[in-house]
Amino acid sequence: MDFFTTKNLTMKFGGLVAVNDFNITLEKGEIVGLIGPNGAGKTTVFNMIAGYYPPTEGAIVFQENIIGGKKANEITKLGIARTFQNIRLFTELSVVENVMIAYHCRIHSTFIGAVLRLPLYRREEKMMYEGAMEYLREVGLDDLALEPSGSLPYGKQRRLEIARALATGPQLLLLDEPAAGMNPNETQELLQLILRLRDNHNLTIFLIEHDMKFVMQICERMKVLDYGTTIAEGTPEEIQNNERVIKAYLGEA
Amino acid sequence: MEPTVFAQQLINGISLGSLYGLIAIGYTMVYGILRLINFAHGDVMMMGCFFAFYGIMMFSLPWWASFIIALVLTGLLGVLIDRGAYRPVRNAPRISALITAIGVSFLLENAGLVVFGGRQKAFYRPEIFSEVHTIGGVRFLELLIWVPIITLLILAVILFIIYKTKVGRAMRCISHDMETTRLMGVDVNRVIAITFAVGSVAAAAGGIMWAMRYPQINPLMGIIPGLKAFVAAVLGGIGNVAGAMIGGLLLGLAEILLVAIRPDLSGYRDAIAFAILILILIFRPTGLMGEKLPE
Amino acid sequence: MEEHHRRNQILTVIAVGIGLLFLYGAQEYATSYQIRILNNCALFVILAASYNLINGVTGQFSLEPNAFVAIGAYTSALLTLTPAEKQLSFIIEPIMWPLGVLHAPFFISLLAAGVVTAFVGFLMGFPVFRVRGDYLAIVTLGFGEVVRVVANNTQTITNGPLGLKGIAPHTNLWWSWGIAIITVFFIARLVRSSFGRAMKAVKYDETAAEAVGINAFWHKMLAFTTSAFFEGVGGGILAHLITTISPTLFTFFLTFNLLIMIVVGGLGSTTGACIAAIIVTFGGEYLRFVEEPINFWFIHIPAIPGMRMVIFSIILILMMIFARNGIMGTKEFSWNWVLNKIKPVKIFLRKKP
Repeated sequence: MDFFTTKNLTMKFGGLVAVNDFNITLEKGEIVGLIGPNGAGKTTVFNMIAGYYPPTEGAIVFQENIIGGKKANEITKLGIARTFQNIRLFTELSVVENVMIAYHCRIHSTFIGAVLRLPLYRREEKMMYEGAMEYLREVGLDDLALEPSGSLPYGKQRRLEIARALATGPQLLLLDEPAAGMNPNETQELLQLILRLRDNHNLTIFLIEHDMKFVMQICERMKVLDYGTTIAEGTPEEIQNNERVIKAYLGEA
Repeated sequence: MEPTVFAQQLINGISLGSLYGLIAIGYTMVYGILRLINFAHGDVMMMGCFFAFYGIMMFSLPWWASFIIALVLTGLLGVLIDRGAYRPVRNAPRISALITAIGVSFLLENAGLVVFGGRQKAFYRPEIFSEVHTIGGVRFLELLIWVPIITLLILAVILFIIYKTKVGRAMRCISHDMETTRLMGVDVNRVIAITFAVGSVAAAAGGIMWAMRYPQINPLMGIIPGLKAFVAAVLGGIGNVAGAMIGGLLLGLAEILLVAIRPDLSGYRDAIAFAILILILIFRPTGLMGEKLPE
Repeated sequence: MEEHHRRNQILTVIAVGIGLLFLYGAQEYATSYQIRILNNCALFVILAASYNLINGVTGQFSLEPNAFVAIGAYTSALLTLTPAEKQLSFIIEPIMWPLGVLHAPFFISLLAAGVVTAFVGFLMGFPVFRVRGDYLAIVTLGFGEVVRVVANNTQTITNGPLGLKGIAPHTNLWWSWGIAIITVFFIARLVRSSFGRAMKAVKYDETAAEAVGINAFWHKMLAFTTSAFFEGVGGGILAHLITTISPTLFTFFLTFNLLIMIVVGGLGSTTGACIAAIIVTFGGEYLRFVEEPINFWFIHIPAIPGMRMVIFSIILILMMIFARNGIMGTKEFSWNWVLNKIKPVKIFLRKKP
């Protein structure tokens, strides 16, 4: 059985076909890229996988669970976490609280237990705090744990969002333009971070990115979408030399 | 049910429904443009009634002059409310605008209690509307025939404004995208003010007919019709002016006919609207006309 | 994680102790008018803190507390009235069977009020949380109206418009403030737990909350049901404070008062809601003079009922325009903050000699 696979995934908004027959299979531990011009339907693919849009047609299977049509929080619990293109932190809350919130779906206490501060809840609260700090250390934000997350600079907000996604305990991580708005230095740091996280947590990573240099460096395989249709797939080298991909990006000459 | 009784209830239902529809137009126009439930709308209607009342009682104006002046004053009141209370919170979170609207509603009700007093006041019903006709065993007040006619006239004027004038085009643009409309050089605040004026005048017209029908008024009279008119607006698909009118008619008929069929449930009349509202939101959250529900 | 946790707990216990001592003094020496105001304060602390849980903390702006308070008030009153008393007051139609014979002590009736109201809130949550924002507000407002209409018409349960009279005046300062302390303690702890964090996540960004595995619907339900429970208990306190209840008592007016409190306190702050509940209650009493006839030398102004609500409405509008965060914003009262404020004073005093 494949680790993750989609079959003929299709999304229609009214008459508009945003994604058409999208097929992909991910092996455990891979880093796979999804690229394509603006409006190609990349984020729509993510939104279907993560449970924000129920697919119009097609199936998504993750570790033998059929997840197409499940709600976002259920899918997260099954082990798929995501970040957003336009970073969505709980900006009014502190850095560490953001990560602790992601732990909430993993605790076993009831709310009564939490109010009475029963031993199980105390243990879990401690576990949440220490676990959150551990993730923050990994992405290098542990010294900012008590700052309001909205006050962090852009690059750090990106990393915090990744730490938050990790705290849900995922096996598959969806990153929506993780390098957007970063300078080359930050991009290199991010690249190292993603590789390190993949190894430390046995992650499979599926990412959308416009920064071609970054994608070519990090991805083992990639898929190219244009107007909702897959126009190419293969290793970075194959993609770089693909006629249709060049056409899609540069337009017909 | 006997046919004559049915006909009678039909007339009652249509005239009541027209009034809900007239008030609902104001809700739906403001919501369409600002995404704001103007909680004070029912109270604006109440103010319209009192303007008309005092025009006749204090200034001894002929009834038609008093009604016209009341419409104008209520339109101005709508503009004033927008300028004084809603415009300052236009860029604030939605909840702040909603709370402001609730505040304005309470302000009008209580200011009404302070200024007008809490007692019911008899409203003047002009003789030409007071005649009681009997056709084929169906007895009805002349007013009840005029209500749907006047309502349709007002609806036609409003639809003309929205679809055939420059201001109307600007209204439709703002409801799609306020920022872009502003960038196109449209004076957005002016258009919104006009929207409030139009909606308030429609509410005042509805209110005055309501007052002639019952015929008494008090400062809290706007609450229940206001809430029901909102339900009518949702029923017709919020943002849709013609839909609001249809929603109003449906709601009016539903109320009157249900009570006619099951008189023992008459005490629950005021709950019907909300039962309908809850059912719509569960089974058809886009309203009967299929407009989009905003998030 | 929290600094000086132990010290702060001790300070809280001391503060509560001083409060109880004050209540003892009040119970012994205060006039009945003063006692009534103190009881009202406690009542509104209960109601505002629980209303703030759903509106402020979880960010689901709803307008139903009048319904919850009504359900709680009727439930507990029907339980503490004796079967004989009930038979006497239900003059139009006799009371429905099990209600007529049920009888329970005050505490049990309060608990029942909470449970029944929470159950209604739980059932109500399923339809209402299908919608958000303004729609939620109007649906819950409609729900409040429906409850009032039902109370008016179910003659055999609520005695209709006549209401219930002669309810034993069980509510004294110990009961009202005791329940208020328990309510605030429970809600504050819930808010400061992982569940409270999840509720805040739902408030700030529901989409992101779902992305990190939080079931937004169930956390709204948790907040709503908990809120309903304490509103119901508050209703029981209210019924045994004023001893006569009827449907006209539970209009939107009650909800409006609570709304002002949580707005003044700062939507989202439990302690803010408590402080504001006390301020608004006292403020309302203080402003009573504006509704009384005024005779100043030769100027005579007759009584103007409604003037206080005019002032409150204007305050609410002005707060929305100029001071949206209220007293506390979303912050909570904390001893650390207080002690930090006092510190410069202490240092100053120490330096002096």
